Amino acid sequence: MKDCATYAPMIGARPGELTPDEEARLHEHLAGCDACQGRLADLEATGGMLVEALSRAASRRDFATFADEVMARIPANAWKPEGAPKGVLESLKAFFGRHRVLAIASALAPALAAAALYLFIDRPGMPAETALPGVEVASETLEPIVLDTSDGPIILMSDSDGT
Amino acid sequence: MEVDDLALVEKARSGDADAFRTLVVRYQRKVFAVALGIVKDPDLAWDVAQDAFVRVHQHLADFKGESAFSTWLFRIATHISIDAIRKERSSKKDDIDQVDEAALSEGASGILGTALGSNPQESVLRKELVEKMTAALAELPPAHRTILVLREVEGLSYEELSEQLGIPKGTVMSRLFHARKKMQALLQGYAGLSARPGRSTGREDAEP
Repeated sequence: MKDCATYAPMIGARPGELTPDEEARLHEHLAGCDACQGRLADLEATGGMLVEALSRAASRRDFATFADEVMARIPANAWKPEGAPKGVLESLKAFFGRHRVLAIASALAPALAAAALYLFIDRPGMPAETALPGVEVASETLEPIVLDTSDGPIILMSDSDGT
Repeated sequence: MEVDDLALVEKARSGDADAFRTLVVRYQRKVFAVALGIVKDPDLAWDVAQDAFVRVHQHLADFKGESAFSTWLFRIATHISIDAIRKERSSKKDDIDQVDEAALSEGASGILGTALGSNPQESVLRKELVEKMTAALAELPPAHRTILVLREVEGLSYEELSEQLGIPKGTVMSRLFHARKKMQALLQGYAGLSARPGRSTGREDAEP
């Protein structure tokens, strides 16, 4: 038979693994090829031996410590229930993961606060009654001096050399 | 009554360490056997098997239950095993996959079948050969060990082998053929069997 190179690899296929056409041609080939009949006989005779051999090899090994070793390799905090927070940062992450709007608002809050301060404190032409009461800042000096007055505390910024 | 795998997986996901330990004990020997078949070194197989369980635990949340837990576990163990022997995989592709006349004449077809008799399960020779099988497997190239273990131990189909190994179905069949042929030749050697006159040796393949 010249076709063994084609059909020998098909020997050992399980039902449904070959196309109907391949199955038919393999069957026809086997009927007329002693070599491939021998290959099939070898395969059938040795079937299951590998599973048995590896199972025996595994059985000879002492597995008394195996599970303990596996469990020891798993971090203790990995045993918290799925979805449960595993720390402050992870709690925050989980919370903001569930509340995206709050997360965005939290991220924007400092910027909004800064903008609000700018608008209320330093806006030219702002009416006196809308200014923040009670605090005056003299920014030309570096070291602050706080004076208590009847109108509230006044912060003076002075140079380090006292001028 | 034994708790089924999926129930144990659910418990393990909820933080039940004992449930996960039960899964480890249930599959430790088979995972070790798969790893041993591929990596061939028992100590490396031990580490690979443990890695597989640790990796499984890390990804419990990803397990959707679309396949059996054991299938998923063995797939992970196989990946880790293949990764462990990557450096060993230096065989030329043609030596592994190509079925030509030289490959067909390797070993002697039917010798083992005849020697093991009509009921191989009860054969004394079979028991002897099983003892030699692990050593024979260790002599094969990594690609042949891997495909034999996946097919014979894990029971993967041609389609699953094709997907897992990233090779076409035709290559799966030819690689399996080579692997089996080499394994049978080694077993014949261990058993002191040789091709007998009148029995097919595959040489007729080359005849016109």
